[in-house]
Amino acid sequence: MEDKQKESMEENNGEEGLLYNYNRELFYGFDKDRKFVRKSHFQIDANQIIIKQSWDAAEERLEAVKEKVLSGKLSTIAFFMEKNLMEVPMLADYMEIWKWKVRRHLTPKGFAALKPEMLQKYADVFGISTEELKNPDYSKHQYQNTTA
Amino acid sequence: MIKLDFEHRQAGHCESGVTSNMLHYHHYEISEPMVFGIGAGLFFSYLPFLKMQHAPTTSFRVWPGMVFERATKELGVKSMVHRFKNPKDSMSKLNEVLDKGFPVGLQVGTFHLPFFPPEYRMHYNMHNLVVYGYDDKTYYISDTLMDRLVEISYDDLVRVRYAKGTFAPSGRMYYPTFVPKEIDLKPAIIRGIRKTANNMVGIPFPLVGAKGIRFLSKSMRKWEKKLGPEKASYYLGQVLRMEEEVGTAGAGFRFIYGAFLDESADVLKQDWLKEVAMEMGENANKWREFSYMGSRNCKKRAKPDQSYDFLADMLLDCADREEKIFRRLTKIK
Repeated sequence: MEDKQKESMEENNGEEGLLYNYNRELFYGFDKDRKFVRKSHFQIDANQIIIKQSWDAAEERLEAVKEKVLSGKLSTIAFFMEKNLMEVPMLADYMEIWKWKVRRHLTPKGFAALKPEMLQKYADVFGISTEELKNPDYSKHQYQNTTA
Repeated sequence: MIKLDFEHRQAGHCESGVTSNMLHYHHYEISEPMVFGIGAGLFFSYLPFLKMQHAPTTSFRVWPGMVFERATKELGVKSMVHRFKNPKDSMSKLNEVLDKGFPVGLQVGTFHLPFFPPEYRMHYNMHNLVVYGYDDKTYYISDTLMDRLVEISYDDLVRVRYAKGTFAPSGRMYYPTFVPKEIDLKPAIIRGIRKTANNMVGIPFPLVGAKGIRFLSKSMRKWEKKLGPEKASYYLGQVLRMEEEVGTAGAGFRFIYGAFLDESADVLKQDWLKEVAMEMGENANKWREFSYMGSRNCKKRAKPDQSYDFLADMLLDCADREEKIFRRLTKIK
């Protein structure tokens, strides 16, 4: 490895300008003197990149689902499922219903046939009101984790 | 209301840290690496068929709960582990145990943890923390990931204790009840090392241990062709996230294990273990180098600096190192 790279890998990149700076974690390491050390700091920038990558991908998935909801291919439940980073098996677990039922509710037709109690239950799982579930304000539902 | 006099100490691995901190409360000093090593926490497995956040799962440690249970058993510490179907029961049991003066370890899901760093709020059900007190509707928490003490409401605590999905915690709680006055670390260390060595080189299955690393390396070479650059980069990112993210993970665990071997060499008075510890430290640095190179690939997806073959070769190197280290460790007496 080039020296320059090694340097930026080892130093702690200051702590300014880091995207994720909410909490300092404890990291173990093995230093030049061949000693095991413990240090507390924010995630180094190499790791910040891969964390951001996963949120960017989540954002893209959410955007794709939103398009499908707006064009009438999927129900708003599909949107909130993606927003909560869930997939059908997990949502079915939270809802305590069969997976095929959840799949049906993901379609606009299945959604329209939902009883108020079920709507309420979905809203509770997503932590929103039933009003919000029916008519989401999309501008409010973005991941805050990705914006610097 | 009750608030125990619990000392919050950060740790690299949540479960080992939780165990070490709880034993500290019961006046037994044991370092986090020691718990991790005796609990045989180190592992490697690559599970391409088990998807997490839309990419294959790589794990650098054993299943959740194993470290606490193994470590306390090996040390002769008596402990209790409960799971409950009904959230109400589990919460009243939690209060009851706290009233008796025991801090309690909990397995929780991280998605709904309000104090957790926002960037980690994914569905990850293998996180551990300690509850050391409660008030009306508030619970006092020591989370080894956090640089501060935190609090959580009753409702949120129920929510995270009953998170759904893979490895659902289903209200699992655990706490040591009796710590013996004299503990002989030596046999515990030896059995811990044997167990880990066997896990890493003794299981005849291609997806685990050093073999698992080779398997991952082999499939990584095919990613770009099979999945296209975007998805290949995402898959690679996933390996790195599992390696670097929550609870120091992969490379971090290798450092912790090295620190454990280093400490064990002194306890057992076996100098050759020091050498192995140094090899482990170098191996861990190689892993970190791998994730550093890999993350640059993730940044420049279209024109990566390093080919996947290059990264796969780095992994092979790690596999060889670990194979050598653990073959040596199987001979411990």
